Amino acid sequence: MNVHEFMTTRLEFVDGGASVYEAVEKMVDKRIRSLVVRFSGKDDGYGVITARDVVFRVLAKGINPQKMKVAEIASKPLIIINQDADLNEASGLMEKSNVARLFVSDGQRLVGLVSLMDVMRAMLIIRARGKYVL
Amino acid sequence: MFFEKAFPHGKKERKVIENIRSHLSLLCTACHTLEAALEKRDRNLMGEVINLENEADIKRREILSNIYDGAFLPYLRPDLCKFVEIVDSIFDFLEETAYCYLEAEIPPEMAGECLRVAFFNRQMSEMLLITFQALVDGEDLREKTLAIRIYEKKIDDIKNYLTKDLRAVPVENFWNGLYLSNFLSSLTGISDVIEDASDHLQIISVSIR
Repeated sequence: MNVHEFMTTRLEFVDGGASVYEAVEKMVDKRIRSLVVRFSGKDDGYGVITARDVVFRVLAKGINPQKMKVAEIASKPLIIINQDADLNEASGLMEKSNVARLFVSDGQRLVGLVSLMDVMRAMLIIRARGKYVL
Repeated sequence: MFFEKAFPHGKKERKVIENIRSHLSLLCTACHTLEAALEKRDRNLMGEVINLENEADIKRREILSNIYDGAFLPYLRPDLCKFVEIVDSIFDFLEETAYCYLEAEIPPEMAGECLRVAFFNRQMSEMLLITFQALVDGEDLREKTLAIRIYEKKIDDIKNYLTKDLRAVPVENFWNGLYLSNFLSSLTGISDVIEDASDHLQIISVSIR
């Protein structure tokens, strides 16, 4: 089973210049744990902001999320995997990079996201298929 | 062993098992045809899904009459019949999806997610066939039914996105809107019924142990 078969295709974006509070609002409204950060100007490219970043780097330190920019806490670069990679490659890369989600690309284009839970689910399905070949 | 007594492989039983297997294979074919029809935007293939529902009806009648012809212990017959009826209702959903597709216009921005739902439906139908085979082999179904629940959850997530997207689609007239809504509802409803069928196999499995 390849990564593209089990990835989430909906990616949500936030601008690096937006406040952390705006990012939090989006995460809560969309019920997701991470957003792709779009940087502009000479710092172009993509990064990621996760609920973990918001809690550990902002809220738990008593920093006002309305006064901090997303770009200040976003991680860059994204850890990316090709959509045709298999699940073992994905889990290996997650373990090596110590991340719980990978962004999926088709060439230069971001096409989805695969989380640790997605990998676990896909592996359980492979296990359930077992010896049965259709 | 109680399993062999409750789920014997005599001549009549073998016929029923073979027919249920063939009913489920037909389901896999129908799900695969629906997926291919969506991918290629092929109206003829959609018509084929409707034909497969008719074939499935014939198979269902045959299985039910075989069961009440004396296959399996009487206490097991209603559960097996119910399973066959649930599988038949999956075909009804597939047929409804095909009919609505022929009448509706699917917005291009929703086509990709619809195709993903059809892909997962096909995978689920294959897992249902595997689950049935595991039951016949006397295996534990726990891991198979979990796999089906995982697929169902995945489709539920996509359904939520599609429902939100649907609200933003401009509707030119009542009937276009209705058919599009019914198409999405039946396409995403297929997985619910496959899950019901797998739960029922689990009940049968527990009842014969």
